[in-house]
Amino acid sequence: MLWLEILGLGVGLVLGFVCPWTVPAAWSLYVAAGLLAALDSALGGVRARLQGQFKLSIFLSGAIGNAAIAMFLAWLGEKLGIPLYLAAVVVFGTRLFQNFAEIRRELLTAQQKRAKIKQDLENPQ
Amino acid sequence: MQKRRKRGELAVVAAFLVLGFLLALQLKSVRQQTAVDATSASRLETLQELYNNVVNERDGLKDQLTTAQKELEDYRSAAASGEGSEALKSEVEYLSMVAGLTDVEGPGVMVILQDSTATNTSGEEADYLIHDSDLLSVINELRDAGAQALSLNGERILATSEVRCAGSVVLINGQRVAAPFVLYAIGDPTTLYNALTMRGGVVDVLSQWKIQVNVTMSEKLLIEKYSGSIATDYLSPAQEETEGSER
Repeated sequence: MLWLEILGLGVGLVLGFVCPWTVPAAWSLYVAAGLLAALDSALGGVRARLQGQFKLSIFLSGAIGNAAIAMFLAWLGEKLGIPLYLAAVVVFGTRLFQNFAEIRRELLTAQQKRAKIKQDLENPQ
Repeated sequence: MQKRRKRGELAVVAAFLVLGFLLALQLKSVRQQTAVDATSASRLETLQELYNNVVNERDGLKDQLTTAQKELEDYRSAAASGEGSEALKSEVEYLSMVAGLTDVEGPGVMVILQDSTATNTSGEEADYLIHDSDLLSVINELRDAGAQALSLNGERILATSEVRCAGSVVLINGQRVAAPFVLYAIGDPTTLYNALTMRGGVVDVLSQWKIQVNVTMSEKLLIEKYSGSIATDYLSPAQEETEGSER
């Protein structure tokens, strides 16, 4: 079910370790913010797909928009002297748990719901 | 339907791919930065320690210099106020000039020795380099010709000075000097020049190895004083008056 996703994660990790350049210290915060956004998007995408509510446009706009806002907050926080990126950390952290909870429920009750999901996927709306 | 599903799957997988990539990148960077921080911290510590040592040494030397200068001043004033001060003063001046403790100037020759430029045919690298023995034979020749003050690469050659091979450099007065060697000798320029460049003389011998020796006569050479200290801890004036001790 999640094999492709795990494979993608593994390939990404290998690529990241193999890739010769590293993030300079000054950019570390932005990459961390982007990382959190990517984590949120990935789990959100999995959840939506499991629940059968997945929409590509929503997923893409959320992934890009969230990453952009997270980086913007990190940048603004640095300018203002307030660690605003914490807002992103808190929001994404909370959502991570929420998404995980729903994925868990979805997977554990998959047996009962499988029929319904199939139905939903075959007749969206 | 199937196509849309595929695209969604692909997007989520792409998100995971980006996630993994960023994660690895960040992990790598953070690890590297911690390592860099650690090394720079320990380097800083080492440098700080070195700096402290050097500062202490400098302060010690400063104190030493102040003491020595004060001592000198004392001697000077004592000499000036004492009986027969003029004679004593000129005596001190003469002795310190002979001992190499004052800057001196006069006519003489300048000798520049450079390592051989010839291609190595004997296979023995040492044959083509200037050795302490070469320098000593030049110095000896200059002394024989009546040189009254000598310096090697700015180091005054005293009665106690060593010229000794120390690896690729030569030690003189405990200082390391390296080729090219520049010898200053004050004395009669013509005599000194001829002593070195005569047939079968030092320059002739060294030239066989293609060691470059340049001897130039000069009207005025300045030889700096010896600025270190001369150890005398084993010395004391002999008790019995011997003949010729009056100088």
